[in-house]
Amino acid sequence: MWSLSDITNSIQNALNRAFNPTFATLTEMVIVGICVIGLFAVLGLILVIMERKVSAYMQVRLGPNRVGPKGMLQSLADTLKLLLKEGLTPDGADKFLFNLAPVIAMIAAMLLLAPIAFAKNFQIWDINIGVLFISAVSSISVISILMAGWASNNKYSLLGAMRSGAQIVSYELSAGLSVLSVVILVGSLKLSDIVQSQENGWWIFKGHIPMIISFVIFLVAVTAETNRAPFDLAEAESELTAGFHTEYSGMKFALFFLAEYVNVFIVCGVGATLFLGGWMPLHIGNWHGFNHVMDFIPSSIWFFGKTFFLIFVIMWFRWTFPRLRIDQLLNLEWKYLLPISMFNILLVTLMAIMGWHF
Amino acid sequence: MSLSTIIFYLLATLTLVSGFLAVTTKHIFRAAIYLLFSLLFIAGIYFWMHYEFIAAVQIVVYVGGIVVLIIFSIFLTHQSGQNLPKQKLGRTIFSALAALCGFILILVQVYQHQFVGTIERSVEASISNIGSQMLGVSDNGYALPFEVVSMLLLAAMVGCIVIALRTPKEIKEGGL
Amino acid sequence: MFLKDYIKDVFGAVKSLLIGMRRTGYYFTHHKEIITQQYPDNRDTLVLPERFRGEVVMPHDEKNEHRCTGCTACELACPNGTIKVITKFDITPEGKKKKAIDKLVYHLELCTMCNLCIEACPSDAIKMAQNFEHSVFDRSQLTKVLNKPGSKIMDGVE
Ligand code: SF4
Ligand code: SF4
Repeated sequence: MWSLSDITNSIQNALNRAFNPTFATLTEMVIVGICVIGLFAVLGLILVIMERKVSAYMQVRLGPNRVGPKGMLQSLADTLKLLLKEGLTPDGADKFLFNLAPVIAMIAAMLLLAPIAFAKNFQIWDINIGVLFISAVSSISVISILMAGWASNNKYSLLGAMRSGAQIVSYELSAGLSVLSVVILVGSLKLSDIVQSQENGWWIFKGHIPMIISFVIFLVAVTAETNRAPFDLAEAESELTAGFHTEYSGMKFALFFLAEYVNVFIVCGVGATLFLGGWMPLHIGNWHGFNHVMDFIPSSIWFFGKTFFLIFVIMWFRWTFPRLRIDQLLNLEWKYLLPISMFNILLVTLMAIMGWHF
Repeated sequence: MSLSTIIFYLLATLTLVSGFLAVTTKHIFRAAIYLLFSLLFIAGIYFWMHYEFIAAVQIVVYVGGIVVLIIFSIFLTHQSGQNLPKQKLGRTIFSALAALCGFILILVQVYQHQFVGTIERSVEASISNIGSQMLGVSDNGYALPFEVVSMLLLAAMVGCIVIALRTPKEIKEGGL
Repeated sequence: MFLKDYIKDVFGAVKSLLIGMRRTGYYFTHHKEIITQQYPDNRDTLVLPERFRGEVVMPHDEKNEHRCTGCTACELACPNGTIKVITKFDITPEGKKKKAIDKLVYHLELCTMCNLCIEACPSDAIKMAQNFEHSVFDRSQLTKVLNKPGSKIMDGVE
């Protein structure tokens, strides 16, 4: 059957036959880099048009419908517009940091892509601390926001950056705790182990109510971490014009925009991997016939299907709920999500020790 | 020179350069950012050594925690956007000497130490190994220090809660 | 007690959020609810709702008669001076003088479509029309005279 891992294997073999190992590794790195950049571009285009269409339908509108069939090429036209725009750097700005910030945001997003398993045996770097790596690297993206906010020399940017810093630092806790509940059950941080452990059912089904609770907490926390509505205080159009990227224009703005959408994709991919089995098809216990039928759907389709489902849910949040106030935001984290997820983690530990999960 | 060595020297140079820039720059915010880069490249060296866990913890603690705290305190400081005033020459010399002494101390330590070669494979620094060492009560376990540190954290948390509980009655509205 | 309130809070919050999501989910799946009018494309078939307010007009019947008595109630009701009623005195067949309108001047560019004049008119002489394509090249074209030339008041309207 057609599979992505066959392609990568054959490329690797061909390269190793043709060159010495060092050069082959280098070439592979370059290929991976190009693929990642390509994926970014495609993801940006798809997610932006998806968001615009979803928001339109949820608000009883039509959305973009002029460029291309049903407006599907709208984001391509927007990208072209952004490419042709002048990239301004304000006079009072710290030029070096101002130009560095979007690049850092992009690099952090690229690094986050490394441990994600897109399909069976198709992963850039199956690092043994996968989940920890993701939460570590995602903290770099805070820095890029803080940097952008400071370097713009604009009070809106500074306020936005501070808000988003406070928000990301606090929501990282409950996101981390809900991820930890899966790690406790699996006993490994490696993403391939986590996917493998869901061979007889996804954790959200195997883990009873505690897993469902941590799934919900995870969704809420990552929505906050990616600065999306209802937690978009960092951007908050009505209060801060555009928050930390008020002063950005042209391609630099596009990089921030792209990084935001790629981050959404990544957190949804991680959520799909942890709770919904990643590329693992829907398997139910010992129903071998059923499991076998499900195996016919390629693993990459499973992964992308689940990820896009989660992205849709997060968009659904965005276009349904009003923005929180900053005190409500911190209340929600420190008084509700954190205590609940701490209690939940105790439950999960108990479950793991007693072997109550399937 | 193999690729691996090149990468090591690259990371080491970058670490040193950004560390040097952190102390020489005139902008306090830039100093924080250079410090951040220096810490990140150290994490890179850990990755190079295949100590992924240590590297990730380095990033989580220093980048996600300490540097963000530093940046926050810079944000909240008055007039932090201006250039730093020029330091007195005496202070500069004193701090350079202090740094040099520290450097010499480390060098002396390194050169006095006898590095014995071993044919045993190094212990794999996997998470489960680290975890069982951390909570082990046998000879090489670190259960006692671990528990002492957690007591410290618990005390800090209780302190935070006590401070946070003392809210004036007036602003006790809003909520979720 | 505290714990009970806390749990009740959480469940209440989750429930209300789900209700909201059900609403948007309903709209997302029911595309026929969409109210967008693709305006320049569907200009021929465009149907505006009856209550849409485009501009103030004065209906005339086939004998070129309107119902305006020239009472200036509309002019007084208008919050921003859009309407000017210029009156004259007609001589009735009995030889009596009678107040009537000469011109009812309406400045479209000042009108906010607030509907107050129509409510104020005691004889239902003016109403709102649905026409909304008002752009012209010169501002003076927006000043309109609502009664048609040569028109006169309908019989029986006092
Ligand atoms: S609709 Fe309002 S603004 Fe327009 S003419 Fe009537 S009263 Fe004046
Ligand atoms: S339009 Fe109505 S309110 Fe205005 S002058 Fe005529 S009768 Fe009076």
